[in-house]
Amino acid sequence: MSTLLSELQRDALQELMNISMGQAANALARLIEAKITLSIPKIVMVSAYEFQQMFVTDQYWFTRQSFLGSVKGEVLTLLARAGTEAIGELMDYVLPLDDRSRKELLLELANILAGACLNGFSSQLALHAKLSMPTIFQPDTRQAESFRWSSTLLLEVEFQLEGTAFDSRIVICLEGGSVEVLIGKLNELLED
Amino acid sequence: MDLPRLHFQLNNRLPLGICVLNAEYQVLYWNDFFSDRTGQSLAAIQGQNLLEMFPAQSRYLKKKIDSVLVLNNASFSYWEHQPHVFPFSSSRPITGEETLMYQNIEFLPIESEDSSVHNVCLVVQDVTELASYFQAEQLLSAKLEQEGAELKALNEKLSMAQSQLLQSEKMAAIGQLAAGVAHEINNPIGFISSNLQTLQDYATRLLKLTEFYEKVVSKTGNDAYLAMQRDMQQRLQFGFVRQDLPDLLKESIDGIDRVSEIVKNLKAFSHVDNAQWQPADLVDGLENTLKIAANQLKYKVEIHRDYAEDLPQVYCQPNQINQVFLNLLVNAAQAMEHKGHLYLRAWQQNKDVCIEVRDTGPGISSEHMKRLFEPFFTTKPVGSGTGLGLSLSYSIVKKHHGEIQIHSTPGEGASFVVILPITGPEKTADLPGSEQLIS
Ligand SMILES: Nc1ncnc2c1ncn2[C@@H]1O[C@H](COP(=O)(O)OP(=O)(O)OP(=O)(O)O)[C@@H](O)[C@H]1O
Ligand SMILES: [Mg+2]
Repeated sequence: MSTLLSELQRDALQELMNISMGQAANALARLIEAKITLSIPKIVMVSAYEFQQMFVTDQYWFTRQSFLGSVKGEVLTLLARAGTEAIGELMDYVLPLDDRSRKELLLELANILAGACLNGFSSQLALHAKLSMPTIFQPDTRQAESFRWSSTLLLEVEFQLEGTAFDSRIVICLEGGSVEVLIGKLNELLED
Repeated sequence: MDLPRLHFQLNNRLPLGICVLNAEYQVLYWNDFFSDRTGQSLAAIQGQNLLEMFPAQSRYLKKKIDSVLVLNNASFSYWEHQPHVFPFSSSRPITGEETLMYQNIEFLPIESEDSSVHNVCLVVQDVTELASYFQAEQLLSAKLEQEGAELKALNEKLSMAQSQLLQSEKMAAIGQLAAGVAHEINNPIGFISSNLQTLQDYATRLLKLTEFYEKVVSKTGNDAYLAMQRDMQQRLQFGFVRQDLPDLLKESIDGIDRVSEIVKNLKAFSHVDNAQWQPADLVDGLENTLKIAANQLKYKVEIHRDYAEDLPQVYCQPNQINQVFLNLLVNAAQAMEHKGHLYLRAWQQNKDVCIEVRDTGPGISSEHMKRLFEPFFTTKPVGSGTGLGLSLSYSIVKKHHGEIQIHSTPGEGASFVVILPITGPEKTADLPGSEQLIS
């Protein structure tokens, strides 16, 4: 469990995340006119090894995009390989998807989900952060050592598109310094 | 400093297209990047619907803009997926290969005072340079990949050729050894054989002489002499010697004859004698070979012949070509387990003579087809086929600058056509076996 956050802080953050993710899911559901369920957001500390293991799967595609503002970090999105056609249809793509349109879809989807999460999260905490363009991430081309890993906090939430095999996990990774900013904001909230 | 003025100047100097729309897609603002490329000043288009201005992409633009409005979240468009959202011409009109500008576009929500989104800002980045660089690189890597694959195929071929070479080298070495041994043995065998002949002749004479002496002794009627003779003959077991000697000699001569036959075969095997290049009648060769293969074909196969008349002779190594025919005939015979038909055809085709051996066996599947000429490729049970027949035939025909064509419909049979140039390979001087021709 997180040693950076107290139980109290963690609960507060989780509650905030829950609210903001709900808003994100609603917005997304409105856009694609489909029902979306989401998991309770998890706030975890993981080891470098566990983090790396997240990418050892052939069930998902990965995208990443960085964000910059009062907090800094990267958002990694895991998108199920199964069910991309279904969501492609909802999002008005020409089926069957070819390699290029699949990539386009994945990036658009990742951007929407990650953007929604980050927006919700930062607006709840009165932080601000701007997302850059997402890109496809191929972790197998990278070594675990190259992950800059110190005290990184993971905020994780799962989206599921009802009636399809599609699901997605959004992982917000905060840089060490940003975790302190976050804790400061949380404490402000808790004191109120 | 006059900040708004600075912002305004920057807006128009930045290498970025900036366009602001309201929720009805009406253009509120666009910078010089847009007006320079569309030829329409801001004043001229302010308030116009962007989707109507760019109808070809209106669906895509609408989707992106709607997503920004609904989600209050930036959206992106990539040149890899949508290269030319706005039909702007290339930033390199003179030297560039491409004619249209490659674009990355950001669709940003612009928040009003109360933070509900009403406006969307499009930021267009010209990435033509990057895109064409990237594409060139991709082309290059595709080319590299292809070259790599070709190289790999070539390597495989090489190692195959090497093993084939090794095999033929082995065969050549055995041949050379055999030729050497044959040559070494040939001389002693020669004089042993002729000495034996002479010995046989001498022995016959000696026996005749002994007979003559016996007669002379008996003519004397002298009992003492006769007894001495009988005594001596008995002691030396002469009766047996006299009987056995011709047999022994005959056996030895037979034996040495067999040895010299083996030596002759060894020499034949090492191709010392049969590699001669000469004009030959291929049909004769085929028919002679057929006689050798006859016992394999006799009962189960009906033979049909269709030979063109007046076929020219072909300059070749007849024994080697017969070897090829033998392989084809034996393969055909082995392919037709039950009754079948063998069609033999010969005809001229321009400067080549063609010989076809066609059977009504099971034919050859397409995946086997590719491998027929591989050394050691065989579908026959262990011990009954070495898989060298066609590979050797191939190299023999190649040496003649000819080719073997195979056609087969699985289930209906197989046809092998040997095509040989009438004049033989152009330069026979550097071919193996040509020394016989010169000497
Ligand atoms: N007329 C044919 N019909 C069907 N298959 C054939 C025919 N000729 C050759 N093949 C196929 O090609 C393979 C290779 O033939 P090849 O003559 O090289 O070797 P082999 O006959 O198996 O052995 P070897 O000739 O050394 O005794 C055969 O095993 C057989 O599967
Ligand atoms: Mg054979």
